[in-house]
Amino acid sequence: MLRLLATIKKEWLLLLRDRTGIILLFAMPLVLITVMAQIEDAPFRDYQEVKFDILTVDNDHGRLGRYIQEGLQSSGQFNIVDSVKGHPVTEQAAREMVNAGDYKICIIIPQGATGAIVSNANKIVNDISHRMGMSIALPVSARTDSLHVTVYFDPAAKKAFKSAIHQALDNFLTQVETDLLMDRIKQQLKRKDVPETDTMQIQLKAVGLKEQFAGESKQPDVISNSVQHNVPAWSIFAMFFIVIPIGGNMIREREDGSLLRMKLIPGSYLAILAGKMLFFVGVCVVQFYLMILVGIYLLPMMGLPKLVLGHSHVATLIVATCIGLAATAYGILVGTLFKTPNQALNFGAISIVILSAIGGIWIPLEIMPPTMQHIGHLSPLSWGLDAINNIYLRDMGVQHILTDVSKLVVCAVVMLCIAAGIEKRRIS
Amino acid sequence: MTSIAVQDLHKTYKGALEPSLRGLSFSFQKNAIVGLLGPNGAGKTTTISILCGLVKAGSGQVKIFDLPQDAAHREEIKRLVGIVPQQIALFPELTAIENLVYFGNLYGLKGKGLRSRIDEYLQVFGLEKNGNKEVHRFSGGMKRRTNIIAAILHQPQLLILDEPTAGVDVQSRSMILQFLREYNKQGVSIVYTSHLLEEAQTICSEVAIIDEGRLIVQGTPDALIAKHSNCGNLEDVFLHYTGHAVRD
Repeated sequence: MLRLLATIKKEWLLLLRDRTGIILLFAMPLVLITVMAQIEDAPFRDYQEVKFDILTVDNDHGRLGRYIQEGLQSSGQFNIVDSVKGHPVTEQAAREMVNAGDYKICIIIPQGATGAIVSNANKIVNDISHRMGMSIALPVSARTDSLHVTVYFDPAAKKAFKSAIHQALDNFLTQVETDLLMDRIKQQLKRKDVPETDTMQIQLKAVGLKEQFAGESKQPDVISNSVQHNVPAWSIFAMFFIVIPIGGNMIREREDGSLLRMKLIPGSYLAILAGKMLFFVGVCVVQFYLMILVGIYLLPMMGLPKLVLGHSHVATLIVATCIGLAATAYGILVGTLFKTPNQALNFGAISIVILSAIGGIWIPLEIMPPTMQHIGHLSPLSWGLDAINNIYLRDMGVQHILTDVSKLVVCAVVMLCIAAGIEKRRIS
Repeated sequence: MTSIAVQDLHKTYKGALEPSLRGLSFSFQKNAIVGLLGPNGAGKTTTISILCGLVKAGSGQVKIFDLPQDAAHREEIKRLVGIVPQQIALFPELTAIENLVYFGNLYGLKGKGLRSRIDEYLQVFGLEKNGNKEVHRFSGGMKRRTNIIAAILHQPQLLILDEPTAGVDVQSRSMILQFLREYNKQGVSIVYTSHLLEEAQTICSEVAIIDEGRLIVQGTPDALIAKHSNCGNLEDVFLHYTGHAVRD
C-alpha cells in the first residue's frame, strides 16, 4: 500500500510541476468541447431551428401561390423572398441567383395553376353529382396538359434537404387540391338540401401523428442537440488523449533510468504500476466531470442547450472510471511499445484520432455506412459513448451499461497483458 | 565468504552477432572494494545487469552472498544490494528530498526514520542546503551524489556502482571516493566499474579486468603492477591485457 500511495503522490507532484501538462490535460479539452459544440450546433439543430431564404416567383396570383407562400412562411423554416432590391423576382433572375448559390431554392408557380386545380375539382364534383342523379355542371377547363410547380435547387444542396423540400411542396399541393375539392363538394351539398345554418364541419384527418419519447422522463429532442452529443463524445476523446502524457512519462522513466531504479527495488513493480494507473484514471475522471460541468453551465451561457444528465450518477461514475482505465492502459501499452517519446506522441495522437473518428465521436455512428458502423463498434471510444448515451439519453441505469463497461475493462486488461509481455520479452 | 560469485556466465542478446559474455567467472570477497574493469563492450554492464536480476543469463551461475540469483531469491538479493546506475536514475522535476522520500517509500521506509536518514546522507554528501531544489537544477556532481544516496537508503550490504564518477568535477569525485572508503569500513562490500583507472588503483583493494565477455586477470592493483616490469600503474596493466586498439 505504501508503494501505491507513494507512487500516486509522486505522480501528483510531477503533474503539479508540469504546468504545460496541466493546461493540456484540463484547459485544452474544455476549449475543444466548447468549440466543437458551437461548430456542430447548426448541423445538429433540426430544420425547425434553421431558416433558409427561399425565392418564389408567383405567376399564378391565385390560391395555390398564396397557399404555398403562407405555408412555407408559417413552417418557420423559410423566409419567403419574392422581390430583390425592390423589384419582383423574375424566373430567369431567380434561376441565376440559385445557380450562383445566392439562394438555396427557388419555386416557380406557373400561371393558371390555381385555375387548373379548381377545374380538376369541378370535374370531380360534376362526375360525383352526375352519378348521384344531380344535374349540376360546374365549369371545367378544356386544357388537357398538366401544369408543374418548378423548383430550382442550389447545385450544392444536399440530397436530404432536397427531399424535405419536395415533400413539403407535395404536401402543400395536396392540401390546396383537397381544400378546393372539399370546398366544391360543400357548395354542391348546400345547394341540394342542407340548411344555411349548417356549418358542415368536415374533419379530413381522422388519424394524426403524435411523437412520444420511448424512455420515461426525457424530451425527445434531447437526442438531437449538439451539446448532448458533443460534450460526452469529446470528453471521451480528451480522456483518451491521456495516452500522450502517460506514454511520454513511461518512456522518460525508461530513458532517465528511474524505471530501472524502481525495478531494482524489492517488491512488486505491479504496485507501482497500479499507483500510476490509479492516478491517471483519477485525472481522467476529473477531466470528464469538468467537461460535464462545461456542458451544464458554460455552454448554455453561449446560447447552446444545457447538457441533460441521466438520473444514475453511479452509472456515470462507473463509465467515466472505466473509460479512464482503458485510456490509461492504452497509454501504458504505447509507452511500453515505443522507444522514443516522439514515436509514442505521433502514434498515440493519430491512433486516438482514428479510433474517435470510427467510434462515432466526430459524427454519430448511425449516419455512417453499415461497414463503418460495424468497424466503429470495435472502438473503445464507441463503447464509452454508447454507455454514456444509455445513461444521458435513454435514462438507463447501471445494469444497462454493464456490457460496454465490461468491454472497456477487458480491453484494458488485454492491453496491460500485451504491455507486460513486451516488457518481459525485453528483459529476457 | 564471497559477496559475488560468478561461474561460467554466458549471455547472447537476441539479434546480436557476438555473445556479450563467454564463460565469465570470478568471485569477490566480502567487505572488499572491487573494481570491475574493462574496455567498451567488454561485458561489464551486462554482468551488472545479470547480478541485479534485470537481465537473464543464457547459462551459468550467479551467487550474491551465497544466494543464487534466481526467482526464489531475487527479492532477498534486492534487499541486500544497492545499485548506482550509470544514468542519473532520478525524477528531474522532483526535488532531491522528494526523490529520496519516494524511493525510500518503495523500499518500505517511511516517517521520521526515513527523513532522518535522508537528512544524514544529504549532509554526508554536502547536499543539505539543496535538498528542496529540483534535481534538474543540480550540477552533474550533485546529481551523481543524489544518485548514490538513492541507492543506499535501504542500507545494503553490497553496493554496485556503474561509473559513479563519470562527468563530475574533481571535488565531487573526491567526495564520492571518500564516502565509498568510509562506507566500506562500515562493512559494506563495494563493486564498482570505471574507465578512470587511476581512481580504481587508489580506491580498490582488488580489480578484475574483463574483455570480450571473459575474465582476463584478477588481483590487487599492486600485485598486478608488480607482475609486469614494464607497467608502472594500473592503466599500463589494463592496456597490456586489453591492447591499444580503440573499442566502439
